[in-house]
Amino acid sequence: MSDQSPAAEPLAETPAQPDPAHAPATIAGTVGPPLSHEALTLAVLERFPNVRTHVHRGELTFFVAPEQVVDLLTFCRDADEFDCALLSDLSGVHFPAGEHVIERQVSTTGWPEHRVSRDVGVVEVLYVLRSITRNHWFRVSVAVSDVEGESRLPTVTHLFPTANFHEREVFDMFGVVFDGHPNLERILMPEDWLGHPHRKDYPLGGVDITYKNDKFIPSPHERDLREIVE
Amino acid sequence: MGLENKLPNGVLLTNLERFVSYSRSTSMWPATFGLACCAIEMMAAGGPRHDIGRFGMEVFRASPRQADLMIVAGRVSQKMAPVLRRIYDQMSDPKWVLSMGVCATSGGMFNNYALVQGVDHVVPVDMYVPGCPPRPEMLLDGILKLREQVRTSTFAELADQS
Amino acid sequence: MSVPTQPPTPRPDDELWVEGADWESVVDAVDDERLTVNMGPQHPSTHGVLRLLLELDGEIVEKLQPLIGYLHTGIEKNAEYRAWHQGPTFFTRMDYVAPLYNEHAFCLAVEKLLDIRVPERAEVARIILLEFNRIASHLIWLATGGMELGATTVMTMGFGLREHILDLFESQSGLRMNHAFFRPGGIANDLTDDFEARCEALLEMIPPKMRDFEDLLRRNPIFNDRLRDVGYIDADTCLAYGVTGPILRAAGVPWDLRKTQPYGGYERYDFEVPTSDLADCWGRFEVRVAEIDQSMRIIRQALDQLPAGRVMVEDKHIAWPSQQSLGADGVGNDPEYIRHIMGESMEALINHFKLVTQGFTVPPGQVYLPVESPRGELGYAVTSTGTNKPYRVHVREPSFVNLQAADVMSRGGSVSDVIVIVASLDPIMGGVDR
Repeated sequence: MSDQSPAAEPLAETPAQPDPAHAPATIAGTVGPPLSHEALTLAVLERFPNVRTHVHRGELTFFVAPEQVVDLLTFCRDADEFDCALLSDLSGVHFPAGEHVIERQVSTTGWPEHRVSRDVGVVEVLYVLRSITRNHWFRVSVAVSDVEGESRLPTVTHLFPTANFHEREVFDMFGVVFDGHPNLERILMPEDWLGHPHRKDYPLGGVDITYKNDKFIPSPHERDLREIVE
Repeated sequence: MGLENKLPNGVLLTNLERFVSYSRSTSMWPATFGLACCAIEMMAAGGPRHDIGRFGMEVFRASPRQADLMIVAGRVSQKMAPVLRRIYDQMSDPKWVLSMGVCATSGGMFNNYALVQGVDHVVPVDMYVPGCPPRPEMLLDGILKLREQVRTSTFAELADQS
Repeated sequence: MSVPTQPPTPRPDDELWVEGADWESVVDAVDDERLTVNMGPQHPSTHGVLRLLLELDGEIVEKLQPLIGYLHTGIEKNAEYRAWHQGPTFFTRMDYVAPLYNEHAFCLAVEKLLDIRVPERAEVARIILLEFNRIASHLIWLATGGMELGATTVMTMGFGLREHILDLFESQSGLRMNHAFFRPGGIANDLTDDFEARCEALLEMIPPKMRDFEDLLRRNPIFNDRLRDVGYIDADTCLAYGVTGPILRAAGVPWDLRKTQPYGGYERYDFEVPTSDLADCWGRFEVRVAEIDQSMRIIRQALDQLPAGRVMVEDKHIAWPSQQSLGADGVGNDPEYIRHIMGESMEALINHFKLVTQGFTVPPGQVYLPVESPRGELGYAVTSTGTNKPYRVHVREPSFVNLQAADVMSRGGSVSDVIVIVASLDPIMGGVDR
């Protein structure tokens, strides 16, 4: 397995001394007041005109194309009015192509069956950016294809070293390959695991739960553990 | 290898058996195998309120070679299962396994791809203590029942174990 | 490369004579080897199933690689197959040392999606229990940290004091740990009649015991030597690695989400955010001990403000039937409620049935809701597609992110410092691996 340090390259990026021009992250709000959603949106649309925005429940999300991610995040980190020094979260959501059944086991749960269908399957990768000095935050959403081989995004570990573990997790769980990541290996599952568990086409797994008088319950040695619960 | 494996066949040693089984039961040293939430309750069982030191077991040995009892406290994931088996193999005879909590017993509420659905798929278990997590009193009850089982076990049974 | 000093008197040729000053010459003569040592996943001091791969030059750590995943439980995926009100039962087992925080963050996220506000009594009760949970979590940190350093008395004292807090939790929720007490819309049952008396008793009991801790540890020379100047990480590096919580506050940044992005009613309480300029393990120790004091301050104010009223939201489409009391038969059925649904109203019965079997539906949307857990920013990114189950819940656990800083904090230190550093990060592997 590759032995590269997860911190070797990014360490060179972080300054050895706090940059006095880039005011020290002391008390939230001392460098500047938080920007409103409108101000944030205007500033982003100035530089990146095709970005779509959405505000829901008081939260601002920017929808960008995969090519724009690194530029947008660099801008958000370095621009004075944004000053987003903290990448709070990097996560994925899988929306598969075709018809997808949200409810299974309708017969046992009695829950209504929900089906959704989409033409194109995507893995939506969400970046939550937060500014400590200005005390504002927002989300950047990128939709990458969920087809194996096409599911690629550029890494942001050179901007935010914290993305290291997060990107490994998204790779492990969704199969999105981050180009340029120093150590893209599985992080939660064993290294030789096949499949990406948090995808919707990956089954939950486990064993069939049998109830008394329902059917014959084989002893643990005789159960076929390769049978998975759908 | 325990004493029982050194005995020639057909020899009965009742008093020695009773003495050895009694000593083994009263000074069982657990190996630290705390994995998840049950580990916190296991540590609480070692705390001052539910004192596991009353039963001679407050010395949780870090090295499996020095331990008799492996309390598997917590959920065993697919990645951890080979490690669990290796630690079990490193313990010397006689050894016992107590599966603490429902995750160790049967996979618990996590009936999914990530967990081994019961450590008895990986190691032979002598005592199952259900609960999520089991109260320290429940763990102590399980330990006491296991001690009773050990105290009354014969050499023939233990020889079969290895 | 230093020249070996000549011994003062001639020695025979087959004798190797080394004096203190020429150690380098001897060492350089031997090939410089980097030793790779594996610590864990079963190890007495790695705070759970954490595996550390250390590259050592002698005793000095050149590189530290945390390898995780030994406790991966697939909780996030499992929650997609359960209703919204069953979510807290799963998420509470992630960070099992401060379980109420997981529940709180999830419930707040769901309530945000539902666009409801919980009753005030529930809000205040949640905060009281959360702050007690913060105290219990910091006590576990102190106890296990002390044990890893060899101070076993600290472990006994910490766990002994924590038992009293667990008594409070047990009296309210029925469980000592992993309570599943906070539900979307409020809390599961109303508080007991002796809740305030119990809290007051705890608030009386904790300060003298904390003074005992201070007496034992603060001027202890071994504790000082092992913690001071160990694991230094400054504020910028913290932010680059996404480190939040007591570690960031020990680096001098007063960033606490309860103050800067208030949620769940915290804006009504007056408390300080303790910081330290030391940015080492001793600073983190000071910050956590000070946070226990501040938590007690919040609890005191919340107890004064605890109003009467409902503990679950009024909306019958969401509210888990929670006004149930323990009946004479020992079963938790409220006779009034049962009489209503069985005898009086068919709709109420159907509603109860649907609520219990299917749960409520949440309008579609995505939220990210961060709370300040004892370890840092605990964020829940919840996606709903409008059904009765979460479509996707991602948990941003502070321990997962903070572990990345272990490498940069340990370089140049010794192996024994690694233990102290990992202890001061306070990782809980259930949250790291989820």
